[in-house]
Amino acid sequence: MLSNKELYRISKRVYREGILHGQLQSAGSDQARFLEKIDKDKMQRSPDIILKAMSALYIFGLVTIPIFALITIHSTLSSGIDSNWVAFVGSLSVSGFLVMQPAVLLIFSIMFSWGIMSGGPYKWIHTLPFGKKDIERIGFFTFLRSINIQLISMSLVLPAGIVVSIVLVLGSEISVLSLVLLIITSLLFSIINLVFSLSLLVIISRKMALIMGDQEINSRKTNIIRIVSMVLYMIVAMGVMYLIQIAIAKIPELYVLQSWSADTTNILNIILSIIPFPFAGGYLLTILAMDFSNVNRFLLGGSILGIILFIFLTYFVYGKALSTLRNITSTELKKYSKKKKEVFVKDITINTTGPTLAFLKRDFAIITREMSSIMILIMPFMIPLYMLFLPMDDQMTIGPAGLSIVMIIMLFYVSMVSVMLVVGLTNIESGGTTITASLPISVRDQVKAKAPHFVGTIPLALIVAILVRIGTPQFTTMISFALAFLPVIPIICLASLFFKAFLFGKMKHKIVLEEIKSEKKFVKNVLVIAFTFVLMGVFVFASAFGFLSLGIAEVVAAILLYIAYNIMFPKQ
Amino acid sequence: MIEEDRAMVSVINLTKSFGTLVAVNDISFEVKPGEIFGILGPNGAGKTTTIKQILGLLEQEQGEIRVFGLDPSTDDVEIKRNIGYVSEDPLIYKSMTPRMLFNFIASIRGLDEIETTKKLQYYFESLEAVEYYDKLVATLSRGNKQKMQVIAALIHEPLLLIMDEPLTGLDAKSAKVVKEVLELHKERGGSVIFSTHILEVAEEMCDRIAIMDRGKIIAMGTIEELSKMANKVGADLEDIFLKLTNQDESVNHIVKNLRKMINGNKRS
Ligand SMILES: Nc1ncnc2c1ncn2[C@@H]1O[C@H](COP(=O)(O)OP(=O)(O)OP(=O)(O)O)[C@@H](O)[C@H]1O
Ligand SMILES: [Mg+2]
Repeated sequence: MLSNKELYRISKRVYREGILHGQLQSAGSDQARFLEKIDKDKMQRSPDIILKAMSALYIFGLVTIPIFALITIHSTLSSGIDSNWVAFVGSLSVSGFLVMQPAVLLIFSIMFSWGIMSGGPYKWIHTLPFGKKDIERIGFFTFLRSINIQLISMSLVLPAGIVVSIVLVLGSEISVLSLVLLIITSLLFSIINLVFSLSLLVIISRKMALIMGDQEINSRKTNIIRIVSMVLYMIVAMGVMYLIQIAIAKIPELYVLQSWSADTTNILNIILSIIPFPFAGGYLLTILAMDFSNVNRFLLGGSILGIILFIFLTYFVYGKALSTLRNITSTELKKYSKKKKEVFVKDITINTTGPTLAFLKRDFAIITREMSSIMILIMPFMIPLYMLFLPMDDQMTIGPAGLSIVMIIMLFYVSMVSVMLVVGLTNIESGGTTITASLPISVRDQVKAKAPHFVGTIPLALIVAILVRIGTPQFTTMISFALAFLPVIPIICLASLFFKAFLFGKMKHKIVLEEIKSEKKFVKNVLVIAFTFVLMGVFVFASAFGFLSLGIAEVVAAILLYIAYNIMFPKQ
Repeated sequence: MIEEDRAMVSVINLTKSFGTLVAVNDISFEVKPGEIFGILGPNGAGKTTTIKQILGLLEQEQGEIRVFGLDPSTDDVEIKRNIGYVSEDPLIYKSMTPRMLFNFIASIRGLDEIETTKKLQYYFESLEAVEYYDKLVATLSRGNKQKMQVIAALIHEPLLLIMDEPLTGLDAKSAKVVKEVLELHKERGGSVIFSTHILEVAEEMCDRIAIMDRGKIIAMGTIEELSKMANKVGADLEDIFLKLTNQDESVNHIVKNLRKMINGNKRS
């Protein structure tokens, strides 16, 4: 038996292995390129640090919601609002925080914890002379390691938040007994909550690992999981900010906006308070902050009952999590058995199409299966999200000047996505060099086959972004702006594709889309990005003189582009 | 467009450098219709570089290349219609299945569906790859990827096959099948250029062999001609190869040291 300290040290190796495992799994078919990158770039080796810091930040950010709810409780009570309603709103805010906390933990750690949970990283540990118990403990420590920072912040944040609200307001409002109980409860509760979230994370990431591990590397199913987790990151990352803003703005309103009769609220409160997670904790803390002498005995009883239930629930989930951890570290990993499909010679058939359609089909097959390419499709749809979360209420009235700033920021984001699209599409070419090198492909056709992408996703995303704002007073301005800029998107995409081909693929007699001149790669990439942004800048500048001049700029650019196309990729 | 009696490929005074490194240094050779032409040479000799130039995949610097009388640096599309190419490392779209891949290839080449289906069935069956037709390329083994490449090079019945180490990773049976296919191709008047490290294969299959070393062709001819050049009549290609590339001495040296080291480390 080794000491815990030694085992914790050893778990570091397993942990790093697990991270790599997870990264490799998400890299999918891009593994070779990923390994090359990781070899050069040391930062790539600890991608977990950023996520850890982010989740800690978010957890600390979220606590502003319950703090805000708790410190406004007493001013609301003294203004004569029904105490049942105050308890309802207050506990809703606290419960909201309690739910968001494990959600943030899950979403920000699952990327790496599923690598750890796949069992793969433990395989080599078994080849070393460790006892069975030691390996189990190494498994446990490895998991702890993967969320150490989050765990520390989670256990501190609620008591710290309570202390802050006591210092700010509550200290002078409630009895000493309530104060002491409040602090003790928040401490105890944050520990139970921690164990609960932790166990949930173990179970869920193991489920994920089983699904991921069972799939062929690039199947659509694994990719859907990847997409969903990526989208969740983004939504949570942006949504949490939004939520905090909203909560702080709306909580005081909610307090005074009683919708039901006192009796209904009371019954609803009691029912909710028995639900172990998250309401029981939310109610108990709120009740204590209100000073429990202000509160209905039944509600107090309900929430204590709820807490007891929560403790049992936690105990149960914890047990499951422990046995899950034990399973992972044992060598015999449970695997779903897969039925083998029989294949016959007659199944081998061919369906031909025209060349352009063939290119499109190929691109579609690859884009939907490779993580790096999927990003090409996801990134444009961040524009609607940005629009959705953009605060445009009365307090932040956006006049014509503000509106153009919003649109210009959006257009530069469009430029960035365009470069990504161009780079992504040319990367597809390099993934099958052997095949393309031997086929009689004219570069002209290749370029032609890229065009549908340029009039596809990004313009669509832009339109959706504006439609999100339908019904607002700014809508007409924005939609006419977006429509006027729509032709700009394919123009800058094509221009940046041409420029990239010129820098990377210029040969003596022709220009190809593959990166054959790969020296000074960094500088060339920076040039491509700068080129695209400057081009967008030119259009934005032209639009400053009205839509007519923008239209003229678009026509001129399109003509120039067509000439460039014919010179660079002549007909054979 | 393609003239009959002319050489399929002619390379005249070809030179190619990467920076200061001269990868191919002033080489010339011809490949005639119905001929299997082998390029041998130690690692880094310039075999792959030569082959890529013939296909127009690398920028041409000095010298002249003609394939079917055409210049690959300008007429590569026309040339590729009649070439099948197997590259050194099979970089095939990993997230496609062979089905998608061959649909793509057949569409780009404009092949007939029924004809191509028949050929595909034949090749997949004889190379024992039928069960992989709907698997993702990423999950195929190295040898099975190689089979896909080889089939892709054959389905349009090209005049010229250019194969950079086509047998790497293939199991004995598949290697045999590929060799038979090459023989058949030759009998029907097609030509093959292929580079290999497997000397027995070169000896067995090639009509003529060029031995490259450090960018130069140091010897070229039939096996008999080469063995004369190496002053080792009746010797096998391995001896000739090592002798001509001046590696025979160093191999002896390495073997001697290896023995010494292993014997010295013997457990007592
Ligand atoms: N793109 C490139 N950039 C720089 N140097 C290169 C490049 N491609 C090849 N070389 C160099 O050119 C030389 C010849 O390489 P080549 O690949 O033609 O050798 P080879 O005979 O095919 O070797 P092998 O038997 O290992 O396949 C090598 O020294 C190689 O390092
Ligand atoms: Mg080579």
